[in-house]
Amino acid sequence: MYTQAIDTDPTLRTSAASDDGAAEDAFLARIADDEKIEPQDWMPEAYRKTLVRQISQHAHSEVVGMLPEGGWITRAPSLKRKEILLAKVQDEGGHGLYLYAAAETLGVSREQLIDALHSGKAKYSSIFNYETKTWADIGTIGWLVDGAAIMNQVPLCRCSYGPYARAMIRICKEESFHQRQGFDIVRALCEGTPEQKAMAQESLNRWWWPTLMMFGPHDSDSTHTGQASAYGIKRISNDELRQKFVDVTVAQAEFLGLSIPDPALRWNPARGHYDFGKIDWDEFWRVVNGQGPCNEARMNDRISAFEEGRWVRDAASAHAAKHAARAVARAGALEAA
Amino acid sequence: MSALPSQSLLLIADSCLVWGHRLSEWCGHGPQLEEDIALTNTALDVIGQARLLYQLYSSRAGNGLTEDKLAYFRGPDAFQNVAIAAVENGDYAQTVLRSLILSAWFVPLWRALAVGRDPELAAIAVEAEKAARVQRRHASDWTIRFGDGTAESRRRIEHAISTLAPWVPALLATEIDGTDRAHRENEWRAFVAEVMAEATLAAFPVNANGDHHAFEANAKQALSALLHEMQSLAREHPEAVW
Amino acid sequence: MSDSNAKSLAPTDWPLFEVFIRSKQGLDHKHVGSLHASDAEHAIALARDVYTRRQEGVSIWVVPSKAITASDPALKNENFDPMASKIYRHPTFYDIPEEIGHM
Ligand SMILES: [Fe+2]
Ligand SMILES: [Fe+2]
Repeated sequence: MYTQAIDTDPTLRTSAASDDGAAEDAFLARIADDEKIEPQDWMPEAYRKTLVRQISQHAHSEVVGMLPEGGWITRAPSLKRKEILLAKVQDEGGHGLYLYAAAETLGVSREQLIDALHSGKAKYSSIFNYETKTWADIGTIGWLVDGAAIMNQVPLCRCSYGPYARAMIRICKEESFHQRQGFDIVRALCEGTPEQKAMAQESLNRWWWPTLMMFGPHDSDSTHTGQASAYGIKRISNDELRQKFVDVTVAQAEFLGLSIPDPALRWNPARGHYDFGKIDWDEFWRVVNGQGPCNEARMNDRISAFEEGRWVRDAASAHAAKHAARAVARAGALEAA
Repeated sequence: MSALPSQSLLLIADSCLVWGHRLSEWCGHGPQLEEDIALTNTALDVIGQARLLYQLYSSRAGNGLTEDKLAYFRGPDAFQNVAIAAVENGDYAQTVLRSLILSAWFVPLWRALAVGRDPELAAIAVEAEKAARVQRRHASDWTIRFGDGTAESRRRIEHAISTLAPWVPALLATEIDGTDRAHRENEWRAFVAEVMAEATLAAFPVNANGDHHAFEANAKQALSALLHEMQSLAREHPEAVW
Repeated sequence: MSDSNAKSLAPTDWPLFEVFIRSKQGLDHKHVGSLHASDAEHAIALARDVYTRRQEGVSIWVVPSKAITASDPALKNENFDPMASKIYRHPTFYDIPEEIGHM
């Protein structure tokens, strides 16, 4: 997912043994009572660290996620699609911004977080390291990737940390059009020429498995799920979300007349869910650890935008300082007069 | 009702589209997240205006040329845009300076059309003028920050001025039926002069002399490249509906 | 040049502002989030682009985040619990005879 829970920090699991035992108990009781934790409240260091990691990972994913789709803004095949895509990618930038702001309430600066991304210390969702080869990919991303993201994000609206939960509420409101516009693109392709339909199928073939990987490792292999759910940060497990996603998406693909590239996919009446094939976790870890098709290109894009923007940010700061100094001088002159 | 001649309509629409396309190239690459979002808003505004104007043109021409046919299936020679709209973005200084030049041109133009004798166009112009004012403010704020910012930003905005100035005389000389060109030019000059002064920059060199034909050729080339990219997918599938 | 001087001349990150938006004529401004901007006017301009893309507002306030003073969360109980006992402040505390109707 956007918050894939992929990197591990051994310090997190030792926190329960901290000196602040009583405070921690009180804190966990608040969480159990569904109380919201706010920035000034006492919180265990492990909670703060988990949040910083998860929120910043989420923020980075939104911002890096602007790139694969952004590359098609200039080639969108109709003016309507161009407008919609531009607004959609812009929204993702906004999501990154809201989330950086939420992380900043925990005492880290945006600059520090961005630095961690650019230096390779921080992760972002593996999905954005795949290439957008065709226009159909823009539809598939909206339909599947945003669809998967929404599934993960809706429960986060109830997460225990107030600023994160509020950012997620705003984000979820805005997300609702993303998935629909993606589905609408794919639908137009499926109802279009044979070439268009083939484009949609080929795209689904490439994105299906990486989308399932977005939900992160199986619960049995996920180091964070336990801690994060005790803290009320993660409400539903990776596997539950993944299953839910498969279950709703199969019917949508059927409606579109597309086939999901998984021969093992079939309805299991006993479980009341679809069974599906094995995920290639080697691929997942390769992409997470930097060897995906576009990891390098994505980071280069982000770093160059940041570095080339430095003189712009500095100019604004310098002008603001001069402007403020002049205002003070004017006020002083008035007082003297 | 007295409709604006279709040639003028296309000139404005094409200018909006081409400029909006250039602005959209920044999406995801802006100097700061907040600013990326702000600039994209200006791209959305002008692309939206282009669409409305194409739709108006199309409904009047009645020749089956839809907004997308107009945008995607005409070549560079058929585009009527003001040349400066197609010039490459360059750095952020050049991008905001072009926005200043164009929005300062559009504000009085939209205002004139908003009270003009073409009611359908006037309805579009009323809204477009508001957006153009926001855009003009955004562009002038940045021009001022750059002129009055750091040594580097000042060097960059001065470079942008010398790069873009040659296209300005043709822009200001552009006639749009039903509007007073000289009046629009005066407003442009007054506004830009004020911004330059606040930015502590030298007066804007409108009467640049230079090889006019070279600049025109340059702009045509930039437009061709822009359209080549923009139209590539649509032209690959001429029968497709998206 | 002293160290602190060098620092004050060095370009810094844009400061953080809290953004408050009046969603409709007649309503209070409500906190919606925060953003970085080079100064307050810049923050207003950016807040319009960041927080009102869907017509969420008709008026914007921005406040430098560092200008906000918050109550101490540790004093939450002593600050706010004593108010719970003052039930006579609420209209539902009083019985009004049915014959009187709405009051
Ligand atoms: Fe998003
Ligand atoms: Fe999205």
